[in-house]
Amino acid sequence: PVLPEGWAGEKDFKPVGSLSKTNDRKIEPVGPHFLAYARRVRHKRTFSEDERI
Amino acid sequence: MSAQTDPAQRVAIGISFGNSYSSIAFTSSEGKAEVIANEDGDRQIPSVLSYVEGEELHGGQAKSQLVRNAKNTVAYFRDFLGQDFKSIDPTPAHQSAHPVESESTVAFKIRDSEAEEENAVTVGDITTRHLRRLRSSASDYLGKDVNAAVVTVPTNFSESQKEALKSAAKEAGIEVLQFINEPTAAVLAYDARPDAQLTDKTLVVADLGGTRSDVTVIASRGGIYTMLAAVHDFDVSGSKLDQVLIDYFAKEFIKKHKAAGDPRENERSLAKLKLECESVKKALSIGQSANFSVESLAGGVDFTATINRTRYDLLGNKLFAAFTRLVSHAVEKAELDPLDISEIILAGGNSHTPKVAAAVGAAFPETTAVLAPSTSPTAINPSELAVRGAAIQASLIQEFEAEDIEQSLHPMVTVTPHLSTAVGVLLISGDESNGVFHAIVDAETPLPVRRTATITTPREGGDVLIKLVEGSRHIKVTKPEPKPKAEKADDDSEDESEDEEEEEELREKTWKIGSAVSETALRGIKKGAKVEVQINIANDLSVTALFREIGGKGGVRGQVQGKAS
Repeated sequence: PVLPEGWAGEKDFKPVGSLSKTNDRKIEPVGPHFLAYARRVRHKRTFSEDERI
Repeated sequence: MSAQTDPAQRVAIGISFGNSYSSIAFTSSEGKAEVIANEDGDRQIPSVLSYVEGEELHGGQAKSQLVRNAKNTVAYFRDFLGQDFKSIDPTPAHQSAHPVESESTVAFKIRDSEAEEENAVTVGDITTRHLRRLRSSASDYLGKDVNAAVVTVPTNFSESQKEALKSAAKEAGIEVLQFINEPTAAVLAYDARPDAQLTDKTLVVADLGGTRSDVTVIASRGGIYTMLAAVHDFDVSGSKLDQVLIDYFAKEFIKKHKAAGDPRENERSLAKLKLECESVKKALSIGQSANFSVESLAGGVDFTATINRTRYDLLGNKLFAAFTRLVSHAVEKAELDPLDISEIILAGGNSHTPKVAAAVGAAFPETTAVLAPSTSPTAINPSELAVRGAAIQASLIQEFEAEDIEQSLHPMVTVTPHLSTAVGVLLISGDESNGVFHAIVDAETPLPVRRTATITTPREGGDVLIKLVEGSRHIKVTKPEPKPKAEKADDDSEDESEDEEEEEELREKTWKIGSAVSETALRGIKKGAKVEVQINIANDLSVTALFREIGGKGGVRGQVQGKAS
């Protein structure tokens, strides 16, 4: 979409809302991607920190 | 915990332990899962144990003892494990050793030694003996002593059942590294193929087994699986399909040999019928016709007959329809529409039947892929899915310390927030009413998540506004123009209702745009440029977004705080 006239935001970014509530569900502890996820959670790493290692 | 083996010394396999059949598989050094055949050459090993004069028979050999030695043959015992006697359904075991109550568990009275006496053997001991045989088959094949395994279980297997299975396995010298759910194992078996592409999709795993059917709806997001719904049915099963054939051939037999009597009324004749009908069913999954032949079926009369697939499809019609209903019901239970399902994985031995795949596929739109041997050339053997998944998981975790595995399975790790709506950007117009939603992260995606997408910008370039919004999926039903109905008399109102059903609704997936999350301006975009959007959503629902013109420099980065919950 084209930027409307007079639109302004700090550093061109304007938060206007937040995401709606999530559902807690159990993920299946299976597969390589889960194991990578579990490793991140247990070491409290983020995606990018995990990639650096 | 002293029985745990040193991870370096582990030889782990995948075991799928079913009521009717079990199988074993390992992962080769190239990372490919391979199913192991036992010494009889069977990859699908019947979960049957039989005792003749103190000698233990297992698998296919034990299964054939169901005719002449039914009382000392134990079959269909998996679901009895870890159960209270009152809560079990002994129906499947009617033609073999009957389960009896024994203290807090279930046992079988069988003559398992050379002595002329019956021993009460608990279902746990039976399972141990069965697993010991599976283990020795795998050890013989691999030339290494197998001491650990990942075992598949149904999704509704309780903790006490798992405990019982774990201790039975321990007795058999197998350390259970992890129990994994049968449907998830099936998905893993498909995703582990080298040519598989990981996409975000919602799929159905329909497992049509011998004594039960389980249908599970799974959201697969970036290779992480979340179970959305599961249904179990003990009436729709492969043994009912066998029954259809049993009744058919029994009637044919009576027609030809009136004096010999009904073979279903004699235990031994019925056992013969049952075994033969199962193999006829298997033959009909491969060929267009099959031969039925039993020596001395009843009253000393031999009986041979043939059946073609069309006849069988007709006889089993009701059951195929029931199975389709079960699949549809599971999708409903997950509060989804058939349009949301991108793949159906057919698992379990009865999924070899071409009509099963056809019937299930008919309930879904054409865009839904049905993965079964008769519908997809790349389908994996439905009988081997669970065990392959288990073997892959076993190879992934066999080097882990038992404690590490335990910790990873903890709810702190496995329970995580999932998005309730999809998040994406608006295209064409910034206005909610006529913008087009482009989903970047699907609903039911576990957090934290990072996704990248490429979107197009207005043709003329210049300054653009990118709006990040939530979107929920709706099913738009368009009814075709009602046909002008001919005047009808009141008495054939029945016909009228049928006509109405024939009018096919047009259903399509649309997006309803929800609340906006952020607005971003990208200035001075080139004509026809594409914009890369990367969004990170953290567990606290804070969103970090990065918008960048492809080939351009800089870009805009921003963060939206999550609502404090």
